[in-house]
Amino acid sequence: MSPDDRAVGEAERLHPLFLISGLGTSLRGMAGGYAFIAYLAVSGQTWTALVAAVLLLAFLVGSLFVYWTRFEFRVGSSEIRIDSGIFSRTHRSIPFDRIQDVDISQGPLARLVGIAKVKFETGGSSAPGRDEGVLHAIPLERAEELRALVRARRSAGGEAAPTAVEIQQLPVFAMNLGRVLLAGVFNFSLALFAGLIGATETFGEVLGFDPLSREFWLGLLNAGDPIADYILAHRVAAAVAGAALLVLIGLATGIVRTVLREYGFRLDRTEVGLRRRRGLLTRTDVTLPARRAQAAIVGTGPLREPFGWRDLRLQSLASDEGGGGDHVLAPLARDAEVGTILAELGWRPLSPAIDWKRVSSAYVWILALGLAPLLLVAALAALEAPSFALAAAVIVGLLVIRWRGWRRTLYALDDDRLLIRSGWWRRRTVVLPKARIQSIDLTESFVSRWFGVAGLAFGVAGGSGFSAHVIPAVPRESARALRRQLLVLGS
Amino acid sequence: MDGVSEGDSSSDGGGGGGETSLQPVEPGYRHVLRARLLLLWLPLVIAGLVFDNGMLADTPFYGAVSVAVPLVAILVVILAPDRIYRRLRYGLTDRLLQVVRGWLFHTDTIVPFVRVQHLDVTRGPLDKTFGTATLVVHTAGTRNSIVTVPGLAPGRAAEIRDIIREHIRTDFE
Repeated sequence: MSPDDRAVGEAERLHPLFLISGLGTSLRGMAGGYAFIAYLAVSGQTWTALVAAVLLLAFLVGSLFVYWTRFEFRVGSSEIRIDSGIFSRTHRSIPFDRIQDVDISQGPLARLVGIAKVKFETGGSSAPGRDEGVLHAIPLERAEELRALVRARRSAGGEAAPTAVEIQQLPVFAMNLGRVLLAGVFNFSLALFAGLIGATETFGEVLGFDPLSREFWLGLLNAGDPIADYILAHRVAAAVAGAALLVLIGLATGIVRTVLREYGFRLDRTEVGLRRRRGLLTRTDVTLPARRAQAAIVGTGPLREPFGWRDLRLQSLASDEGGGGDHVLAPLARDAEVGTILAELGWRPLSPAIDWKRVSSAYVWILALGLAPLLLVAALAALEAPSFALAAAVIVGLLVIRWRGWRRTLYALDDDRLLIRSGWWRRRTVVLPKARIQSIDLTESFVSRWFGVAGLAFGVAGGSGFSAHVIPAVPRESARALRRQLLVLGS
Repeated sequence: MDGVSEGDSSSDGGGGGGETSLQPVEPGYRHVLRARLLLLWLPLVIAGLVFDNGMLADTPFYGAVSVAVPLVAILVVILAPDRIYRRLRYGLTDRLLQVVRGWLFHTDTIVPFVRVQHLDVTRGPLDKTFGTATLVVHTAGTRNSIVTVPGLAPGRAAEIRDIIREHIRTDFE
């Protein structure tokens, strides 16, 4: 049956406002052009720069317009067809059977005028940034119609009329503004903090102190004579004020970022899984089919754990909006709420009576062995030049963190799933169903062999490449036994 | 065909799921490795000689690089292939594929057949010269998405591919 034989619906176009909303995206993608124009402007050729800017804008608007006129989509009886492209035309057909779900997101402008971006989630593992089926701007009602249509086809083989999407009106999990703000407080970014300290290197005078300069510390440490005392008093005051300012900026940034992203966070139950809505300016509406979940990750941190706060993410075949690997199911939640969400997905909650096993202390010793020569060199050098004491302190700090991390690195076999707990700073508990393990690596190196330990690494689909699931150092025989158990029950 | 998310259907087949009886790959693979190492080290040796004669000619180190690099290259080309070959083992049960390699950095990978997404048998020019083939197994995992078994006899590679393919098919029925 050729595509033309199918009953294909009427051709539809993107909303004309795509010309404006699309322009923003195009403008963001023209970094090279800006650099060129900036170069022209700086090198004194102001007129050329202006002309170049106008030409660039005209080119962008023109190409967007042509793209818009050449972009059509049709909703047929069994598939959605998207025809696009200016010179090389692409006719893409996406069968309803292959569409896992429809994600809808709206930017601030789109919300004002009632249009939405629609993304068809297919199972294909296309590279990030390469969209399989995206309609950039269509009216919101049409987007919701499409979603209802896709769901109806999927659930009833193309026969049933669109049914009510939500089974129950009460959300599975929701965050009020207070909770969102609290999440923002915990979202205080250390990376940002480090970045700000780096910035004070450059703009140090503004803050009145520069913790990376040697004079600052010499001034602090060589107290004693009245002049030094005077300077010291001012330095300390300036340093305290500067640090407070940094903390405030860090807090404010964390809160603003979190509120923008998580405002009105709400999870609802649907026929296939969970539906998540969130966002203050850009509102997104994403469905997470339970079948596609590969692993659940319950995270917490040294600050959040004492208060009993967790976050819950789901490693899934689809990547979350914004390029993040895992789907956030709850940015800040209590244990009971995490249990409720997991139960919604058909997963047992974590029982407190789990027989956790600790990994071997070789996990610490191997790092200590590796760092010992460095530490020795740094300590010897510190006798000559005190600034090397900082390097030694960093190395000791790394070891202490590893040691703290070791005490929290645990694993357990919980019936049909594997639980891995790890980390001191980023505390994670990974719930990995055996059936989702794609491959198991048992790794040894010439160092770990002395300690008689081996690492286990699990291949799991989805997620970002950096979040591999690993049990670092297990006595060799236990590692083999564990692998045997996982494979017997897993497949 | 949503093999990843629905991969929890079970296929009974005994086999125990434990360690497999491991077997070596074709001896010809040593020659493949040797040729590959030679191709890797030859430019390094040439670069070393050029560097030594061009840059270090007037320093007291003149001559050291010209001796050291070829020496290392010869040692590697002579010794490494046998060691790599000896440590490389693969095994099959009726449910899973195991690949064991390396000593300094030892990895021991197990892939259940039902997790395999698709399969390649590849033969490069070196493989063709020495009569070997490489079996490439793709899984859905982000880590380890590609597991290779190099140095198989072409017939054996095709045979393993067919064994695994059989399991992929039965899993979807």
